[in-house]
Amino acid sequence: MDVVFGAFPFMIDNVGLLLTKTGDHLVISLIPLLAAIVVGVPIGIWLGHAHRGEFLAVSVTNIGRALPSLALIAILIGFVGIGMLNAMIALFLLAFPPILSYAFQAVNSIDRDLTRAARGMGMSHGQVLLKVELPLGLPMIIAGIRTSAVLTVSSATIATIAGSGGLGDVILNQVAYGMEGVVAGAIWVAVLAILVDQAFALLLRVSAPAGVKRLQSTSVA
Amino acid sequence: MTQHSTGTSITFDRATKTYPGAAAPALDALDLEVEAGELVCLVGPSGGGKTTALQLVNRLVDLTSGDIRIGDRSITDQSAIELRRTIGYAIQQSGLFPHYTVADNIATVPVILGWNKERIRARTAELLELVGLSPVETWLPRYPAQLSGGQQQRVGIARALAADPPVMLMDEPFGALDPITRVAVQDEFLAIHRAVAKTTLFVTHDIDEAIKMADRIAILKPGGKLAQFGTPAEVLSNPADDFVAEFLGAERGLKRLALTTVGEIVTGSSDRVGAGAETAGWPDVEATMTLREALSVVSAAQAEGAIVHAGGSRLGEVSLHDLIAPPTAGEDREGVRA
Repeated sequence: MDVVFGAFPFMIDNVGLLLTKTGDHLVISLIPLLAAIVVGVPIGIWLGHAHRGEFLAVSVTNIGRALPSLALIAILIGFVGIGMLNAMIALFLLAFPPILSYAFQAVNSIDRDLTRAARGMGMSHGQVLLKVELPLGLPMIIAGIRTSAVLTVSSATIATIAGSGGLGDVILNQVAYGMEGVVAGAIWVAVLAILVDQAFALLLRVSAPAGVKRLQSTSVA
Repeated sequence: MTQHSTGTSITFDRATKTYPGAAAPALDALDLEVEAGELVCLVGPSGGGKTTALQLVNRLVDLTSGDIRIGDRSITDQSAIELRRTIGYAIQQSGLFPHYTVADNIATVPVILGWNKERIRARTAELLELVGLSPVETWLPRYPAQLSGGQQQRVGIARALAADPPVMLMDEPFGALDPITRVAVQDEFLAIHRAVAKTTLFVTHDIDEAIKMADRIAILKPGGKLAQFGTPAEVLSNPADDFVAEFLGAERGLKRLALTTVGEIVTGSSDRVGAGAETAGWPDVEATMTLREALSVVSAAQAEGAIVHAGGSRLGEVSLHDLIAPPTAGEDREGVRA
C-alpha cells in the first residue's frame, strides 16, 4: 500500500513529466483513432446502407479481437522499424474493427420497414441515409468510436516497447522512476481512459435523437 | 378537405415478377383493372404474391415482364422516385419515423416536394382532423413512441395522404392492431375513403377485413395466379374454384349475410305487419344490424323471426327464412362495378 500512497507525491513532484508524457500518449492514441474513424465509419455506413458485407464486417471484428497488440507491434518492427509510426499502425489496426462493425450494425440493423416506408414515399438513397439511417444509427456509431477510443488510450501504453513514448515510458521504466513512478503512471493512464470513456458517454447521450431518447426514458421509467 | 384530386385507375397488364434465383414467378401474368376511386383488396395465403403485386406498383419491386399503368401512364415512364412521390404508401406497424414528431412524419413527402411551411402546416392540421386526432395542437409535437398502436396507424394514414396522391397502396396496414382498435380504424378508414375517393390497393391476409373494406376482392393463390376477382357478394356466392371456396372458409354463407343489413330487407316483409300471434316472442333487432348478427339474435332466442326497429320506432319484421335466404343480399354492394 505504501507504494500506492507513494505514487501521489510522485505525481505532484513530476507533474511536468507526466503532462508531457500524457501529451505524447494522446497523440499516439488519438491520431490512429481519428484515422480509424475516417476510414471505418464511411465504409461501415455504406455497407450497412447496402445491407452488404456482413461477412466482411464480422470477420474484421473477430480478427481484430484475436490480434494481440503486443505481437502486432513486434511484427511491425520488422516492417516499419521502431518508432511512433509502428505504434500508430498497430493502434489503428486495433481501433478499426470496432468502429467498422458498430457503424455497419448501426445502419444495417435499422428496422427494414422504416427504410422501406422511406423509399416507398419517394426518398432518394441519400435522403434515406441522411434523414433516417444516420440520425437513428448515430448513437451506435458513437458507441463504436467510444469502444475504440478507450482501447487505443489504454493500449497506447505498450507502444513504448516500439520506442514511441507516452505514459508507457513511465510505467515500463521502473529503473528510472521507481515503483512509485510505475504506479503513478498506471493510475494516470487508468484515469485518462475513464475520462475518455465518460466524454464519449456524454456525446452518446447528446446524440440520441429526440423521439428515441423519449422511448428509452419511458421504457426505463 | 379543402381540395383533393380524385382517384386514378390502376391497370395490371400481364404483370409478372420472378425473383432472381426463383424457379417459379411470385406473380404470374396478373391482369387486374382497379377503377378510379375503387378500393380493391388483394388477399391470399403467403406465397400468393399479394405484397409483390403491391410493391410492383410503386416500383419497390421491378417488373420482370408485363406492365402496370396508373391512369394511362406506364409506371416505367418516370423515375421510381418521382413515381413514389405521387403514390400514398402505408404499411404494417405504420412505419413511422421514431425520431420525427407526428407533424414531421406527416410532412415527410410535402417537405421532399418543397412545399412552403404555411402550406405544410395547414395540410398537416387538416389531415390530423381527418383521421380523428384532434385537437390538432395536442398531437403535432408528439413522437410515435408516445402514441398507441391505433393512433400510430392513424398518423400513418395521414402521412400516406399528405401530398394528396391519386393512388394509395396499403400493405396490411391494420395487421398489428388488437381486434377492437382494428375495427375502429377500419371504420374510420372506410369513412375517409368515401370522403376522398382515392383509388386504393389494400393487401390483407384477413378475408373478413377484405369483405368489410373492399369494393372488389382479388384472391391470389400460390404461384401468384389470380384465382378470382369480384365483389364480396359475388365471391362469397360463387367461388370460382375449390381453392377460393376453401380460402373463404366454411362460414362463407354466414359471411355473405354480413354484407346486408336488416334494414335493407325489412320492407319486403312489411305486408306481414300486425300478423299477430305469429310474431309473439320474436326478439327485437336494430335495422343497422347485419343479417348475420340478426340471425345470431334469433338463434339465441330460438324464435322464427325478429322484430325490426329503427330509432325507436317499429319498422316491421323479418322471418327466419328472410334472414337465411335474403332476396337481394349484397346486391347494393356492386358499387362501382360497371
